Amino acid sequence: MRKAIAVAALLLTAGSASAAPAYGTAGCGLGSVLFGSQPGFVQVVAATTNGIFGNQTFGITTGTLNCGPPATPAGARLFIDVNREALAKDMARGSGETIATLTQLTGCSDAKVVGATLQKNFSSIIPNEKVSSDIVADNVLATLKADKQLSCSAI
Amino acid sequence: MQAAVLIAAAFAASAARADGYLPELQASAREQRLAEERGWIGLVHYERGLFGGWHSEASSSFFLSPRGADDPAGELDATLASFFSADGQCRFPARMAWLNSRLHFDFARLPLASCPKFEEFFGKIGARSITMVFSSYFLSSPASAFGHTLLRFDRTDGAEAGKHFELLDYGVNYSANVDTENALVYAVKGLLGVFPGQFSAIPYFYKVREYNDFESRDLWEYDLALTPQQVALVVAHIFELGATRFPYYYISRNCSYWLLAALEAAVPELDLLSHVGHVAVPADTVKALDSVPGLVRAVHYRPSIRSQFRRRAAELSGPELAQVAKLADEPWLTPVQRARVLDAELDLVDLRYGRGLLLGTDAPAMKLKQDLLERRSAVPVQSEELKPLPPLSQPDRGHGSMRVGLGGGGSTDTGEFAIFDFRLALHDLLDPVAGYPELAKLEFLPMRFRYNVRAQTLWLESAWLADVASVAPMDRFDQPLTWKMRAGALTLRDAGCNGCLAGAFETGGGASIAFFDDKLALLATGDATIVATPHLQGPSGWPARLGIGPSGAVRARLGDRLVMLGSAQWQYLPGAQPRSLFKLDASLRVALHGDLALSAELCRIPFATELTLGVFKYF
Repeated sequence: MRKAIAVAALLLTAGSASAAPAYGTAGCGLGSVLFGSQPGFVQVVAATTNGIFGNQTFGITTGTLNCGPPATPAGARLFIDVNREALAKDMARGSGETIATLTQLTGCSDAKVVGATLQKNFSSIIPNEKVSSDIVADNVLATLKADKQLSCSAI
Repeated sequence: MQAAVLIAAAFAASAARADGYLPELQASAREQRLAEERGWIGLVHYERGLFGGWHSEASSSFFLSPRGADDPAGELDATLASFFSADGQCRFPARMAWLNSRLHFDFARLPLASCPKFEEFFGKIGARSITMVFSSYFLSSPASAFGHTLLRFDRTDGAEAGKHFELLDYGVNYSANVDTENALVYAVKGLLGVFPGQFSAIPYFYKVREYNDFESRDLWEYDLALTPQQVALVVAHIFELGATRFPYYYISRNCSYWLLAALEAAVPELDLLSHVGHVAVPADTVKALDSVPGLVRAVHYRPSIRSQFRRRAAELSGPELAQVAKLADEPWLTPVQRARVLDAELDLVDLRYGRGLLLGTDAPAMKLKQDLLERRSAVPVQSEELKPLPPLSQPDRGHGSMRVGLGGGGSTDTGEFAIFDFRLALHDLLDPVAGYPELAKLEFLPMRFRYNVRAQTLWLESAWLADVASVAPMDRFDQPLTWKMRAGALTLRDAGCNGCLAGAFETGGGASIAFFDDKLALLATGDATIVATPHLQGPSGWPARLGIGPSGAVRARLGDRLVMLGSAQWQYLPGAQPRSLFKLDASLRVALHGDLALSAELCRIPFATELTLGVFKYF
């Protein structure tokens, strides 16, 4: 847990380099990629200057902010580590909030299929209770990647 | 790079001086009296001092003027001056935005800087909307007994996106940097504002796991109707608060106060803090949100692991529940039944062994859970989404936390009397239950004065610093402890020292069972009491005595408005006179509209039988 918090702190302070590939998942289409680097500071000032810069360029509208956190394997690993107890249950149940979130984080196509896949492969993902969260994360990501039908875009 | 920025900043500053734009802005600010405006006062978190004037309790890094903490106008001048450097602009983006809204900067004369650090923060948080999260009462920890609030910066607008992955949002938390695990030290330091408080941002899934799973607390999420501009300003203000510290006062300047203060600073048209008194209870925070019409656009309930288990158990048949109690899934169950039974068992194991599972210290529990997980995953049934039933009412619908009562009665011992009752916060077992836990008492500074008409004496009948009781019913799945504790003073009513005011500490532990969704509860505890006062003849002549013995109580609620509580206590007083004491009590309270309640109490003690009638008003 302590380690996970340290990683989270790192994620919070990590450079925007890691944010760049984030805009690739559903709901974060081409528009987000193109306008995703709009400087937030200018937006805030623009919010009160009302048209000085023109809304088209600086308005805080859809596209730039609607994407999840970096949908990178590092983000997914942190998520799996911190949510391990809840995720283990959801995997065994084949559904649940952590499955839906993991689907979003890994850029997979369908939470229901992800749930079924993780449930079916549960005993190879968590073969015993002593296995480390790192290995669990490896196994989850490998399982999702191996299933071409899921077309997970962010692993 | 650094140097280039510095040179550019120096150039900008000298250019500004040369063409006199800064003095122009400062003069305009003075003319408009901006330093006295609500927006500025809020952004620097000034409050009226005891003797007039303004003061901000923020740590020194939050001020640009050496006298900034006490001088809103000086701080405003210094802030304007700082904007002629990139560092200055980027340090206080919300101040920049607000001052620009009033002074309409000429960006040809005040070049707009680029601020990579802020932009990174802004992008990382990615807020599209803001939610106030209320984490319900947690009696086991003094820090969160009264609940907790945090802000959630939502990455997706639920209504717009159709699906909201809330776990990936950022939670913004304000908390004290506590350096002790000792509850008493905590209480003293917390009351006196010794701990520094700070904001922090952390992915929301940490908070869900901590509160819902680890501490088994229900979460209530209040989505706020803020415009994108307002959301951006809140983010900017949180950024500029950064590592700023404020003294953390447990009662008045706590998480609840500072979250509202941050919202109000960024969006001055929200009038929130005026609805919070000197006691900022988290439940009052969510009530303050209700006071702005239309501000709360949706409320969501996120059940604790205990509530999840109860919800799952409610769906099961008798024979299925018997399986859950044994953590079994016998072969006669159909696959769908096995899935439901194992789903409930998994929640039960998390509920029972949460800490050991999380820390990896409880090997048998880990083995047990792994076994259940493997059995569950072998059943090819995907569980349906759990549809939780929220409790009776959401926390913002609860009665006011402060209570004042007036009443009178008669005693076979002292004759007629009048009572005045006051409580700073929050709830007892007889108060209207909507919005509160059904079986918990959590009182801070409850006191009752009594004027005996015949003898013309005024008693402080009782005054407790804190009075807490957690009635946690046992069932076949879960066997929690029922306990109570209070410390303060009361007027003794026995031969030991009749009518004496004594310091008192009482505690007890035991068990309870409940029926009809907790509407009827029976509890039994073993109690210990210590009272001390100079006139008391205790064992060996001490001015103190101990009381030990059993007590029992029955609490029943009929509908939403009527609660009855009967209790009996007997105590043995070793080495003291009298040898023993008893108390029988029957109380009834009826909730009326308008945060009012009527109360009747019938009490029998060795010297007297007393009846008290009263009316309570909640604020």
